[in-house]
Amino acid sequence: MNALIISAVWGIVMMFSGIFTKNKSTVRSIAIAGILILIVANSLDLQGGYHINIDTKNQLDFGTFGLLFNSIAFICTLIYFLLSGKDIENVGVNVAEYFALIFFVLCGVSIATSFNTLLMLFLGIEIISIPLYILTGSNKRNLKSTEASLKYFLMGAFSTGIMLLGIAFLYGASTTGTFFIEEIGIGKSSLSPLFIVGLLLLLISMSFKVSAAPFHFWTPDVYDGAPTVFTSFMATIVKSALFIAFIRLFHNSFGEIQPKWQIFVAIIIAATLFIGNLTAVFQQSVKRMLAYSSIAQAGFMLFAILTINPVAQDGILLYATAYSLATIGIFAILVKMKDRSFEGFNGLAKHHPVLAATNTIFLLSLSGIPLTAGFFAKYYMLMAALKMGQFLWLVVFAVLCAAVSIYYYFRVIQAMYFKDGEPQELQVSSSFKILLIIVAAIIILLGIFPQLLLDKMNILYM
Amino acid sequence: MGMTQILFWFLSVLALFSAIMVVVSKNPVHSVLWLIAVFFAISGHYILLNAQFLAIVNLIVYAGAIMVLFLFVIMLMNLNSDTEPQKNKWLKIAGVIAGGALLLVFVAALKNADLKNQMAEVTNGDIGLIHNLGIALFKDYVVPFEISSVLFLSAMVGAVVIGKKE
Repeated sequence: MNALIISAVWGIVMMFSGIFTKNKSTVRSIAIAGILILIVANSLDLQGGYHINIDTKNQLDFGTFGLLFNSIAFICTLIYFLLSGKDIENVGVNVAEYFALIFFVLCGVSIATSFNTLLMLFLGIEIISIPLYILTGSNKRNLKSTEASLKYFLMGAFSTGIMLLGIAFLYGASTTGTFFIEEIGIGKSSLSPLFIVGLLLLLISMSFKVSAAPFHFWTPDVYDGAPTVFTSFMATIVKSALFIAFIRLFHNSFGEIQPKWQIFVAIIIAATLFIGNLTAVFQQSVKRMLAYSSIAQAGFMLFAILTINPVAQDGILLYATAYSLATIGIFAILVKMKDRSFEGFNGLAKHHPVLAATNTIFLLSLSGIPLTAGFFAKYYMLMAALKMGQFLWLVVFAVLCAAVSIYYYFRVIQAMYFKDGEPQELQVSSSFKILLIIVAAIIILLGIFPQLLLDKMNILYM
Repeated sequence: MGMTQILFWFLSVLALFSAIMVVVSKNPVHSVLWLIAVFFAISGHYILLNAQFLAIVNLIVYAGAIMVLFLFVIMLMNLNSDTEPQKNKWLKIAGVIAGGALLLVFVAALKNADLKNQMAEVTNGDIGLIHNLGIALFKDYVVPFEISSVLFLSAMVGAVVIGKKE
């Protein structure tokens, strides 16, 4: 409850900070202070002491899994603020409001990771989505940004409608008329048609929100059109949070009837991996390539929903961390570049060796090369599927797709190291470089000792 | 056949007919007017289900406020048959198939649904009165109610961000 309340209140604080100071870096400092407070408050909640307690009538259930993910999300947001905070200031004039909206998104994240009723799921996802529509369109001078915002809003509203329809069907199918996720699936040894329709509609709308194929069409346009700093936030922290909501819903509500819906999720995974990886190969702009790569990565994260066992729960947290850190790092570098095509990266290693080296580590992590966090993230996902024993074909297919992904990630590395290009004027401070090195170090550390993260979780699970 | 049933059939036919007219009308203004008829019919259904408050809110918000906005936008855009975009034939066929499949699923789901023991309390229930609704909202659902204020606040901030001159 700490994180939920403080993030909402801090969103209001950010709004008012825009009135009292016109200095943009002061606003940014307040935001960083806020995120630090959030991290501390959430850790206190995790320890079990010092939390604000409100009787939510069991509508919210602050379990360890959700709180742990909150911590990961807040720490990633801190890194994001530190790396890209200056670039948020460059998007437009309403800097305080942008930060306020980001804090509201974090409020939605802490609901989406701890909901216990379908009503709260809906609220959490809407609180995440609506600020994002605005952040996408925040660059008003850019027509593409406005178009992306409108497209995102229309598609998002439509998928929310499908989700509400699904919730209504599930409510109708439950004999007692309940929204509680643990109760809607009870006593469904023989599935009623109403229940199946509700389940499928929820599956479709959640797949849409996490941009899984064939519901991914909005992703490339929106990620490409949005200001790059906000794409970074959307593609990482928000996407991981939606995955946590997805797994929480399917674990608690539909876990017992897993065999009945598994095949649908398997088809979605296969389509997502195939389309994401194959289309990414043909992209000319790195930003658009990253959008497709985020679809491909979503395919791997979907394994956690397919299997929903403890291995997958550990794995999705590791995956969220590895993916978010690496993608935030790449986007932080990409924001500074003027030319965002692959050619823009030509010869980067000569002029900015630190940027090129850290960028290489991030890309290696995304493609899942051993000794980076991305390797173990993928390993845990596939392990979870192997433990279950079924869907061996899907695991083989995923490995093949991961091999394809190496091609387009390595194109960037190749451009940086083996091609000559004009030296670019990049404004990077030394603190930016140090922070990038720290993020890269965390990725390698997690790649060698994934237990550092996972053991902590296991202790807390006990 | 009691009065309630006659009303039910009348309202259902009205709702379905108006909904079809919304789709097939060539003139967008006519579509909006038919949509208002749909909302009235649905509000009638709410009253039959003893949800008086919902019926009134549905009328005030949808048939009142939102439809006025709709009409404004349509009149400002000055739509007519010339500006109607020509859609691809295959796209139309795909749309019909997808919509038809969804309809089939819904019909199949509702056909076998066991809803006999969950009939609405048509004559004696007072579940939809403001009094009971308020009690449910501020006792059982007070947390979601309060949290939705964050949602509206962020939407308001967004409206200002998008609408403000730079």
